[in-house]
Parts: sequence; C-alpha cells; structure tokens
Amino acid sequence: MNRLYLLGTAIVVASLSSTAIGRADTMSYADAVTALAKDCGSDIKKVCKGLNLGNNRIQDCLQKNQAKVSSTCTSTLGQVTTSIQQRQAAQTGFFKICAHDAAQYCGGMKGEGNILACLLKSKRVDNGKCNQAITDAGWR
Amino acid sequence: MTTLGGKKMFIRQLRAGVALGLLLMAGIASAQQLSNQQLLSSLSQISKAAPVIDPALLMQEANANVGKGVSGQPNWSQLANLSQLLVEIDFENDSIAIEPKSYRTVGLIADALHHPNLMFYKFLVVGHTSSTGDAKHNLKLSQERADAITEALATTFAIPRNRLYSVGVGQEMPVDPANPKAADNRRVQLINLGRMK
Repeated sequence: MNRLYLLGTAIVVASLSSTAIGRADTMSYADAVTALAKDCGSDIKKVCKGLNLGNNRIQDCLQKNQAKVSSTCTSTLGQVTTSIQQRQAAQTGFFKICAHDAAQYCGGMKGEGNILACLLKSKRVDNGKCNQAITDAGWR
Repeated sequence: MTTLGGKKMFIRQLRAGVALGLLLMAGIASAQQLSNQQLLSSLSQISKAAPVIDPALLMQEANANVGKGVSGQPNWSQLANLSQLLVEIDFENDSIAIEPKSYRTVGLIADALHHPNLMFYKFLVVGHTSSTGDAKHNLKLSQERADAITEALATTFAIPRNRLYSVGVGQEMPVDPANPKAADNRRVQLINLGRMK
C-alpha cells in the first residue's frame, strides 16, 4: 500500500517536472529585443533617430517622448526591460543555486560549460531548484 | 554611403582554422537564419594552436593601410585562425544607430556570450564596409559602428566590458576582393579571442 502510494507520487512529480523541461520562465535576450523592435521599431525610427541601443538611450528616448509613442510600445518597453533583468538574475543565480548539485554530481569537472552539460545529463538534478535555475537561465 | 549591413540577415559559419580560401567559399554558402545553437557551436571551437591577437595592433595596421588593404598584414592575416562567425547588422545610413530589425542579432550574440560555454571568453567585434565611398571615412565609421555594438552588449545586455574589443577596418579586408563594392563586404565579424586570464 505504502509502496503504491509512493509510486503514484513519483509519477505525479515526474510528469510535473517534465512539463517544465524546455520551457524557460524567462525570455532570451534575442526574443526580448525582437519584441522591442517589433512593437517600437517605427516609433524608434520616428522619435529616436540616430540613437543607439546601448546605455539606455532608446529606453530613455521612448520614455521621454511617451506622448508621441504608441501605447503598445510603451507597455512592451516595460516588459522587455523587466524580462532582460529577470534573465540576468536567473543566469547569475544559476551558479549559487546549482553549486551544491555541481559538487555532488559533477565533482572534479572543469569548465562552466562542462559542468552545465553534466548537470543537464544528471537525472538526479531533475526535480530540484537547480533544474529550475537552468531552465530560467535559458540553458537547455 | 556605406552601411555595414545588407538587406537580409545572413550567417556564415567559420570554423577555427579555416584558411582564406574557405572564407571566400563561405561567402557563397547558402544563407541561413541565425540561431543560438549555431552561434554557440561556431564560437566554441577553440583550437589549442589559436594565435594571440592584440586588437590595438589590428587598429594600428588598419590606420596605416587606408586604401591599401590589410589582408597581408601580420595581425590581420592571423584572424582567420580563430573561432568566429560573420553576422550582418544593419545601421541607419551614415550613422552608428543599429536598425531595430538588427536588435535580434545583437540579442542573439548576448545570449551566446552569457552561456556557460563562452562566459569567460573574450570577443572581438570587427566592422567591415564595402569600398563604396571614401576609404578614410569608411574606416572611421566602421570603428564607430563596431564600438556601438560592443557598447550595446556591455550595457543593455550586461556583458562585462573587459571581455569585449572592437575594431573597424573599413573597406580594407573585403570578403569578396574581386567585387569590393559588393554588399557582401559589409559585415560584422565576431571573433573568439580566447579565455580570460
């Protein structure tokens, strides 16, 4: 009886975790700025001509000229900014969150890329926080 | 006026160790949409024999050879031996402003440079123009545009600045020397300079 109950729990947990695999809860940098280009591209060319993506110039310009900018662009700009920050936090967080699993399952391995590849292969990482951290960082 | 970018975004993958002959062939290889996996795999092929390149020397050679070409220069001729790829990034006419349609390409580069496989590697952005227009102006504009790309990577996308280098070479290193005015020559080279010390 107990064993059956445990098996049932294991199946539920396994199916929950498999739905999370491959789906990043944060957006890639490429997808974030693609949304910016799509929803703000014409506004950028109109009111921010000659300005560049770096150093918040586009963001500052769109905010300063909000009255002339489409409402879709204004809302996308906010989402894009948040999304980029979330992805950065997730990528920074990976090393802290996965440090224990890396030492336990991939000890002695050299190189950040090799450690990630090892964690991705290790079945025992599947249900933990490290698993989610890899997904959030966009490294699947 | 020249622009670094063409009409469409192309990627031509160049593996570490390719000779100039292969580089030319890459120009006629079928164009494909840039993807994160392609970026990672082409930039991660690190050869142990990869030369050490000093971007300051590249800049000196470019400045000393305006209108004469740099392909035969000691440092420029070494670049083909490094892991790299070509991308097209469009700019506004005679400006350092990246066209919104090319934001995605810069974002893809940021995704690749943040990946654990590459996160401790240094990268060089080289801006090229076609030979349309004045050679000296092309050199200056390509340097400013290469700077604009690294600036966006370092600020908007938070790649540590000490991992990024930028050099403009104007029209001095055409990918298609037989047709220096061809749009194919306007391109951005992204080169892996090796692991941070």
